[in-house]
Amino acid sequence: MKVLSLLKPYRIPMLIAIFLMLVELGVELWQPLLMAQIIDDGIAQNDLQTVLRIGAIMLGVSLLALGAGIANSFFAAYASQNFGFDIRKNLYEKVQAFSFSNFNQYPTSSLITRITNDVNQLQMTLFMSLRIALRAPLLVIGGIIIALTVNVKLALGFILVIPPLVFFLIWIMKKSTRLFKIVQEKLDKVNMVMRENLTGIRLIRAFSRGKYESKRFKQSNQDLRERTAFALRVTEIAIPVLLFFMNMTVIAVLWFGNIDIHNGNVTVGEVVAVVNYTARITQAFSMFSWIIMVFSRAIASTSRIEEVLVTESDLQEGHNKLEAANLAGGKIEFKHVSFRYPDTETDVLKDINFCASPGETVALLGATGSGKSSLFQLIPRLYDPTKGKVEIDGVDISTLEFDHLRKQIGYVPQEALLFTGTIKENLAWGKEDASHEEMMKAVEDAQILETVESLPHKYETMLGQKGVNLSGGQKQRLSIARALIKRPRILLLDDSTSALDLKTEAKLLDAIKPYNCTTLIITQKISTAKEADTILLLEDGEIIAAGNHNDLLGYSKLYQNIYQSQLGMAESS
Amino acid sequence: MKQQKEASTEVDRGSATKTIKRIWSYLAVHKRLLNAVLFMVLLSSGLGLLGPFIIGRTIDTHLSTRDANGLGIILVGLALVYLLHSLSLWLQNYWMIGIAQETVFSMRTELFSKLHKLPIRFFDKRQSGELMSRVTNDIENVSTTLNSSVIQIFSSVLTLVGTLAVMLWLSPLLTLVTMTIVPLMFLGMKWITNRTGRLYKEQQKHLGELNGFIEESISGQRIIKAFSQEEKVISEFLIKSENVKKAGYWAQVYAGFIPKLMNMLNNLSFTLVAAVGGYFALRGMVTIGTIVIFTEYARQFTRPLNDLSNQFNTLLSAVAGADRVFDIIDEVEETSDEKQSKAISTLEGKVEFRDVTFAYEKDGYTVRGLSFLARPGESVALVGPTGAGKSTIINLITRFYEPASGKILFDDQDSMNIQRESLRNHMAFVLQESFLFQGTIRENIRYGRLDATDEEVEKAANMANAYSFIKRMPKGFDTELSQDGSGISQGQKQLLSIARAILADPSILILDEATSSIDTITEIKIQEALRLLMKGRTSFIIAHRLNTIQQADQILVVDSGQIIEKGSHDELLKKRGFYHSLYQNQLRKDHVKAQ
Repeated sequence: MKVLSLLKPYRIPMLIAIFLMLVELGVELWQPLLMAQIIDDGIAQNDLQTVLRIGAIMLGVSLLALGAGIANSFFAAYASQNFGFDIRKNLYEKVQAFSFSNFNQYPTSSLITRITNDVNQLQMTLFMSLRIALRAPLLVIGGIIIALTVNVKLALGFILVIPPLVFFLIWIMKKSTRLFKIVQEKLDKVNMVMRENLTGIRLIRAFSRGKYESKRFKQSNQDLRERTAFALRVTEIAIPVLLFFMNMTVIAVLWFGNIDIHNGNVTVGEVVAVVNYTARITQAFSMFSWIIMVFSRAIASTSRIEEVLVTESDLQEGHNKLEAANLAGGKIEFKHVSFRYPDTETDVLKDINFCASPGETVALLGATGSGKSSLFQLIPRLYDPTKGKVEIDGVDISTLEFDHLRKQIGYVPQEALLFTGTIKENLAWGKEDASHEEMMKAVEDAQILETVESLPHKYETMLGQKGVNLSGGQKQRLSIARALIKRPRILLLDDSTSALDLKTEAKLLDAIKPYNCTTLIITQKISTAKEADTILLLEDGEIIAAGNHNDLLGYSKLYQNIYQSQLGMAESS
Repeated sequence: MKQQKEASTEVDRGSATKTIKRIWSYLAVHKRLLNAVLFMVLLSSGLGLLGPFIIGRTIDTHLSTRDANGLGIILVGLALVYLLHSLSLWLQNYWMIGIAQETVFSMRTELFSKLHKLPIRFFDKRQSGELMSRVTNDIENVSTTLNSSVIQIFSSVLTLVGTLAVMLWLSPLLTLVTMTIVPLMFLGMKWITNRTGRLYKEQQKHLGELNGFIEESISGQRIIKAFSQEEKVISEFLIKSENVKKAGYWAQVYAGFIPKLMNMLNNLSFTLVAAVGGYFALRGMVTIGTIVIFTEYARQFTRPLNDLSNQFNTLLSAVAGADRVFDIIDEVEETSDEKQSKAISTLEGKVEFRDVTFAYEKDGYTVRGLSFLARPGESVALVGPTGAGKSTIINLITRFYEPASGKILFDDQDSMNIQRESLRNHMAFVLQESFLFQGTIRENIRYGRLDATDEEVEKAANMANAYSFIKRMPKGFDTELSQDGSGISQGQKQLLSIARAILADPSILILDEATSSIDTITEIKIQEALRLLMKGRTSFIIAHRLNTIQQADQILVVDSGQIIEKGSHDELLKKRGFYHSLYQNQLRKDHVKAQ
């Protein structure tokens, strides 16, 4: 198990914690003896001196226990918190290495629950194990041994009961582990509805579907409630059953003890002693319900964490560093590329062939769903082609390290996505050590300088989920600035200018020219496409026409139609 | 306000009791069941004491005297006692779990329905993941505590009172001696819980932030990957994770002190009783037998105290969670519908703005002095540079935000007199960012009108020109869309959003960049559908492509938060103003295209 191997670095603090716990346990076992001494030798003998002397010893010993306990707290907390931290780290790193088909496998809400809630369960369990959990089994074992030394025959009676009870506990634990796994899944579901409601709040408001959503939430909330209650109730069966059987054993001891006393095989004192030890063992057993619950939850959570950790990312990183250094040109070539999304049955791209020379601008045009954005995603290797290969400067990109490849690419996706943080921080995504001048230049070229300068906190303005209200167009331009600041060799603009008015768009495209990068631009507008060196026209995942504006206007029926559609609209006034 | 709360521990403690009371009010709903649990706790404690008592007597009367007479009957009785004991244990847990989960269920429900009453402003300023953490991690804390703590507190208090009574009866003097540790215990507890209470809160806060960060960084995977910023987000994650660790570490350490401290005080009290008792015994003030029995009880006295202090600490972690839930539940709601406001059953669709001013932030304004009138059935286009305030106007029409001054009238009624939800029932939207739910395509379109038949759904899809692509999907209308609607293109999402709006059949239609990601040929195809859709409805359109808006009855040109021009396409062209230059700019391009 990968999860458990993460415990390794904390072996020493864990061992120390366990040792300290044993010290405490020893003191705890010794204390009753000291107390008995105080009573028998001190009070009973009216000897105050002894009372004080042994009392002092007892206080000293309990100070020792206190010291051990406090030290144990530190070590146990250290081990468990760091263990939790390490699992979170491993999980998060794994998730960052996920491909998009991996992401389809795990809904975001589920990943979040796993990284926070499930890890917490494990961490809690480790902390408690290092402090008290061992105590119960030790008390049971100790009790059994002592009882056996008192009278084997009598003790045998209740020893016979213990194995079936242990099996019963294991059975319950197995069952509740499964049940708690379902509980966590239901928690995922609640989390998912919650997330959808938060991200889609405007739409829900707009259609006043609050009540409908509440009903939907109620459903998953109810599921969670019922599942949790069921799982907890199953674990809670353990104790009453356990206690009942242990107590029945006491009765049996009394019954057989009575017979044996008659036969003279056993003394009354021995019966009393065995009864007392049975009572102690019973008490220790009652801690087990709690242990079962905590452990079965932890096992359930472990398997959920393990699941993520062992997931293989299907995007394999290449290791061709040498050639990566040579990606200076920015020539992009698609060779017989076909692509379908994982777990689907139809190709969204079919046998795509084209070449964009360094510094060239290629426009991609095509109907909604024709495969333009899918094609884009292959270039920074967000997905890998199912067939064929993509080359940059003659190097197959699947042999390149992600980092090297992506450093050359400035990608502006369709949905402008900015992160929580300041404008400056968001821009730094493109270049970490960007100077203020570089930022200003990128912002200016992206035609958003004026807006940024007019904000009260300028570059320090908070953006993203916690940030200011920017319009769609403003966000788009900031995400363009984020790509430009990289000074990429290859610039991918996925319909990134759709929310811009034409004037701004024209200025922006002009400003990009001096960057002299190979630019691929998805657009709906002929006016934009026309400026490109090459236009690729896509239909149903195929390139049906390629050439410049005039070429296409000459021979492509579809292009003529698109052209007409835009010209027609403009002239219909 | 929140910061103040955190700054002062004095206020904090006050709020802890308040929070506990508030959690209790959820539990108190189940008064009868709670009484039953209490009764079962009483019963099980009583039976738990009765069992050993009978055993003791049996040993004295039967085993010691070797008198087997009636032993069978006694043992059967004993078995019955233990059976009842187990049964009462089982029942109290069974019921308590029910109550606890019901409580947690109500808290979640309340939190969720509260979200739907909060102003949009609230969501604009918060991370979704942070809010999600409240439903999962924070409520989880409450849940864990309630499952066990209530019973434990019941039985601890019970034992405490019982033993205290016996102790007082045995020797008030020695009881007083035992009680000397109580102030010490209290001080120690206060010292610890002052810290844990604060740390638990901090831990939950950091956990929430971590949750928010995870949510955002997973949603933004595309960018992270494309910019190969994995290392950057990982290191940021680690900082946030470290914060959780730190708070968690100290909370656990301090919480760990409690049983140890209690054990220590326990022993102290025992020694004190023995010493003082011995001294008194020498003076003949108490008998030795009393001291022996008394020490036994004194030991029993500290155990429930120990349990209680542990439980109190667990309770604080529940309080930390519950506080964060109540924080949201107590948020100021979307300026609740004014008292005089009424539900409207019909809406003609007349919309009027009278000198409306609005600002997102307190200082400055986003739009000002807005006045216009849209007659029923009219189409109104909003034109202007990005950031001019077009989306803000839409936010005001939909009443996501309320104007700072001025009035908005619907059918000549002040919007303040209309219930928001009933107003929105007559509106349909295609928003800039089309949002789809996880579910089938059919369900997503049906969101526009929940009682629509399958035929109506398909007809709407057909009108929106989405029919053909849906039919090409493996399961057609029953194709499951994965989270965030990934798996279909942006343009297709917009088509589905349009189908949804068509199905809603509203009086007021709002199209905010509804076709921005749709290719122009498809756009022409749905233009006809949109024209049909807009007929007889008041519609507001934001679009950058001028050609999609020039047929509008009225065009409002917005710049820097003001309406600078108003009129039809032809009127505005004649004016040779802002619109004219915008249009010229596009036309010129089109001309170049035509060459």
